[in-house]
Amino acid sequence: MEPPANASGYHFNKPTTTFHFENPMIVSWNWLKEYVDLNMTHDDLVDRLTMSGLNHEGTEAVADDQAIDLEVTSNRVDCLGHIGVAREIAVLYETPLKIPAAEIKTNSQAVADSVAVTIDSPEHCFRYTARLIKGVKIGPSPQWLQDHLTAIGIGVVNNVVDVTNYVMMECGQPLHAFDYSKVADGKIVVRAAKQDEEFVAIDHKTYKLDDNMCVITDGNGPVAIAGVMGGADSEVSDSTTDVLLEAAYFDQLSVRKTARKLKLFSPSSFRFERNIDSQNLDWASRRACELIQQLAGGEICEGLIDAGQQPTTPADVTLRYGQLERLLGIAIPVDFSKQCLESLGCVITSSDDASVTVTPPSWRKDLTREVDLIEEVGRVYGFDKIPDDVNVPMAASHRPDSDRMLDRVRTAMTTCGYDESVTASLVPQAWSDAFTPWSQEAPMTTSQPMQGVLEEYSKNIGSVNLLRRSLVPSLIEVRRINEYRNNHDASLFETATVYLTKGENIIPDQPVKMACVSGDDYYSVKGAIEMVVASINPAARLSVAACEFDLLDASKSGELKLDGTTLGWIGEVSQTAGKKFGLRSRATVAEIDLAVLQQAMVGIPLHQQLSAFPAISRDFNFVVKNEVSWADLESTVQAAAGDLLESVEYRETFRKEENDGKGMKRVLLSVVLRSSTATLTSEQAESVSGAIVSACESKLAAKLLG
Amino acid sequence: MSIETFVQQLDELAQSAASTFAAAADAAELDAARVEFLGAKKGKLKALQKNMGSVPGESRKEAGMKLNAVKQAIQAAFEEAQGRLGGGDGTDARDPEFDPTLPGTARRIGKLHPITQTINELKDIMGRLGFTPAEGPEVEDDQHNFEALNIPRSHPARDPLDNFYLSVAQSQAESALSSDNPLLMRSQTSTVQIRVMENSQPPIRIVSLGRVYRPDSADWSHYPMFHQIEGLMVDKNVTLADLKTVLKLFASNYLGDEVPIRIRPSFFPFTEPSVEADYYWNGKWVEFGGAGVVDPNVLRSVGYDPDEVSGFAFGLGIERLCMIRHQITDIRYLFTNDVRFLRQF
Repeated sequence: MEPPANASGYHFNKPTTTFHFENPMIVSWNWLKEYVDLNMTHDDLVDRLTMSGLNHEGTEAVADDQAIDLEVTSNRVDCLGHIGVAREIAVLYETPLKIPAAEIKTNSQAVADSVAVTIDSPEHCFRYTARLIKGVKIGPSPQWLQDHLTAIGIGVVNNVVDVTNYVMMECGQPLHAFDYSKVADGKIVVRAAKQDEEFVAIDHKTYKLDDNMCVITDGNGPVAIAGVMGGADSEVSDSTTDVLLEAAYFDQLSVRKTARKLKLFSPSSFRFERNIDSQNLDWASRRACELIQQLAGGEICEGLIDAGQQPTTPADVTLRYGQLERLLGIAIPVDFSKQCLESLGCVITSSDDASVTVTPPSWRKDLTREVDLIEEVGRVYGFDKIPDDVNVPMAASHRPDSDRMLDRVRTAMTTCGYDESVTASLVPQAWSDAFTPWSQEAPMTTSQPMQGVLEEYSKNIGSVNLLRRSLVPSLIEVRRINEYRNNHDASLFETATVYLTKGENIIPDQPVKMACVSGDDYYSVKGAIEMVVASINPAARLSVAACEFDLLDASKSGELKLDGTTLGWIGEVSQTAGKKFGLRSRATVAEIDLAVLQQAMVGIPLHQQLSAFPAISRDFNFVVKNEVSWADLESTVQAAAGDLLESVEYRETFRKEENDGKGMKRVLLSVVLRSSTATLTSEQAESVSGAIVSACESKLAAKLLG
Repeated sequence: MSIETFVQQLDELAQSAASTFAAAADAAELDAARVEFLGAKKGKLKALQKNMGSVPGESRKEAGMKLNAVKQAIQAAFEEAQGRLGGGDGTDARDPEFDPTLPGTARRIGKLHPITQTINELKDIMGRLGFTPAEGPEVEDDQHNFEALNIPRSHPARDPLDNFYLSVAQSQAESALSSDNPLLMRSQTSTVQIRVMENSQPPIRIVSLGRVYRPDSADWSHYPMFHQIEGLMVDKNVTLADLKTVLKLFASNYLGDEVPIRIRPSFFPFTEPSVEADYYWNGKWVEFGGAGVVDPNVLRSVGYDPDEVSGFAFGLGIERLCMIRHQITDIRYLFTNDVRFLRQF
């Protein structure tokens, strides 16, 4: 089974989004051979590449070639071309790397006589170079070029366009060829697009641009979206004779934002997004001219139009050899380290017994610090040489109280028959507003909604873009889903964070709550909450006060208090609310604050000496008015019974209007009395019973039934 | 007769009865013993009961209670002996009405969510390796989610489209980014590293677990909310070899058998060197998670001296581990909460 793509560790090099963002680097075995000898087997090669940082994703046979799919991390733009991969191979196998010289012969016509380039938006475009080739003959590319491009999945167009693609896949520098005759006035201006400016791209679709985007324009208007896509009007066609060749360095963020906004992703934008090597512009341009001339004829005008900033030389970095062992855990020979850095393209500027200072190559912008060099030396030396059986010192760890508390809560809930659920932290407006017991502050809104998290029935309820302030609405939905699927006995709970706003740009309070839902009645759910409380602290007193929420039934609901502090809320879902949520039958919900439970938790219970003396039990059957609550009766009995009371338990309620009159009920309760110091005498028991009866009579107008 | 004498006689009778019942070798003997002690007319208990009349009035009630208790005790001893000898009617015949194959009395116990079960397992393992659980907020600021983790503004991970940025007023959600330190749903549990290191000094050995958020549209392998586990160890002289050793112990512990592991270079902004770890299982390398040596910029951002201390970090996706472990084929099953699904685990 394929593992889920976004569920693994921290994959920043492979951002997975709603857009297709992944663009693997496919290299051709035959093509690589032009730069480095491949005397190894395919399997050996891909294994070495995997173990040194270019993870092998797979290989496909294409005609007499092999297309090798490599995962290139976002810091290794240098490996987005065959030469970069060949360099890795040359370093690993200690063989020479052959890079074409890209020498061109030009005529005497200066390119500056025909082309002018101005950069009006230097924040988008750092450098722009151009060359001009006149008198080319457009036609099909030769077989070898077609084979190379086809092997790595790039479509074949014509000799000029194919060369630009070829050079990009050779060195990683995207190029663009314009039909010079369509570039009005031979004038190139790189500028920000105008708001709502329209542009017809090579795919003959019209794109609406905005002023954060960068365009290449001629005397008339845009001829390309910088780094993303060329225009239909100026593309090289069969009638083209003169080619204007662009090799530029665009800002990576600008290209990324534009490509995403327009949903235009190309191998070109993919490379610009990863910050290409400005130093390489001239080579790439010469290389393309060389090939165009070779394949399509024509004359290359003399010189290079070069606008914008010249590339800077990377700063020197020093590697102290001792740091290799300090961070990698193994000693690496000094000679190996030096040779490795040199073959990667670093130039040694100074060196002594303890350290080496190098100028990193321009194509490795990721090498700016000592630790970057440590990684280079380590990965080439081989992480497989690092031991996996060293002595890591022992250390004590402990389980936090919050974990112990959560365990008890979950155990109590599952014991009561509740299954644990996990639901999304974001909810639609209707749920967000349905129940807000913890805070009246507005919920926080996300910049974009969660997609695809609602069931079919709830799909049209609205955007899922609000941080929930209660878990209850999500659980009602879970109950609805189960009800709909005929799982009528579904009782569920969840422990999760809610988000209570404190202000704009202030991290909200994020207390952890436990909520539950069940098709059972109020008392059943209350019993589960009582179990939870008892498992945290058997002596804690849970009480209920009146509450008022539209979500909850007016009678069968209440605020739960633990020793006087608000613990949460419980109630059957009101009929109106149940309909809104699409429930077909009764549901009871509760939500409690786990911080309050944590506060009350008895972490380590202490032994209480058991009484050695027998208990005496007494039953009472009181007739009281309906308004007299069990809580009233219980507290009256407790107060009256005094120290000898072990427990008072509710038995049942029934009504006998013909005997007791309207609005009256009979409540049967049991009292257990016990002393820790002596066997109770019947006189003691009678005296307590008497006190209970008279207290209930005087305080609650209760009447004891015989 | 004084109450004391009466109580004493009752106690002696109870003892005598218990030992006689226990000594009975068969049903006939037991029945004889029953008549001797519990006989309705001439039984010893009946005889003793008559003495109650001679107990002084003020102790009569206590005597009655004691008599009751002893009567119950003798009866219980008899029933126990009866059970031992197999049936009170003196025969071993089966009760034709009793069906031992009927289902036991149903008791429903709920199940912990498979994600919770996986998390508990991982916490246990890491606990044995000396890592203490640590927690941090799910709503984070840019500083903790990106800046301190050495993730520059130009990094694709910070793209607004790849994150749930937050604001209070709904109308401003889009412009939340204009703030210097906007809030967002954390996209990784590495944020907890920063919060722990900001507030304590090495040695540090923690494991953080929890929900993280990225705006992927839900499909069989994606969900905009998922869970991660992240381990961090910082001390003097912590190396990549320590990381490899801990990962091997972790993987072997999790899979219940010693497994080979390998690490290969990768890239994460907050570690350098960065690696992907794989374990070898059922004949192939399986991706375990990302890891690496804590980047010196991260150590500096929390006020540590990277020349003094070093550390490693690793992160794993919980859903992935859970789905492989239980052969779950669609990540959405985990969040639909159909009880027929939940009750399987």
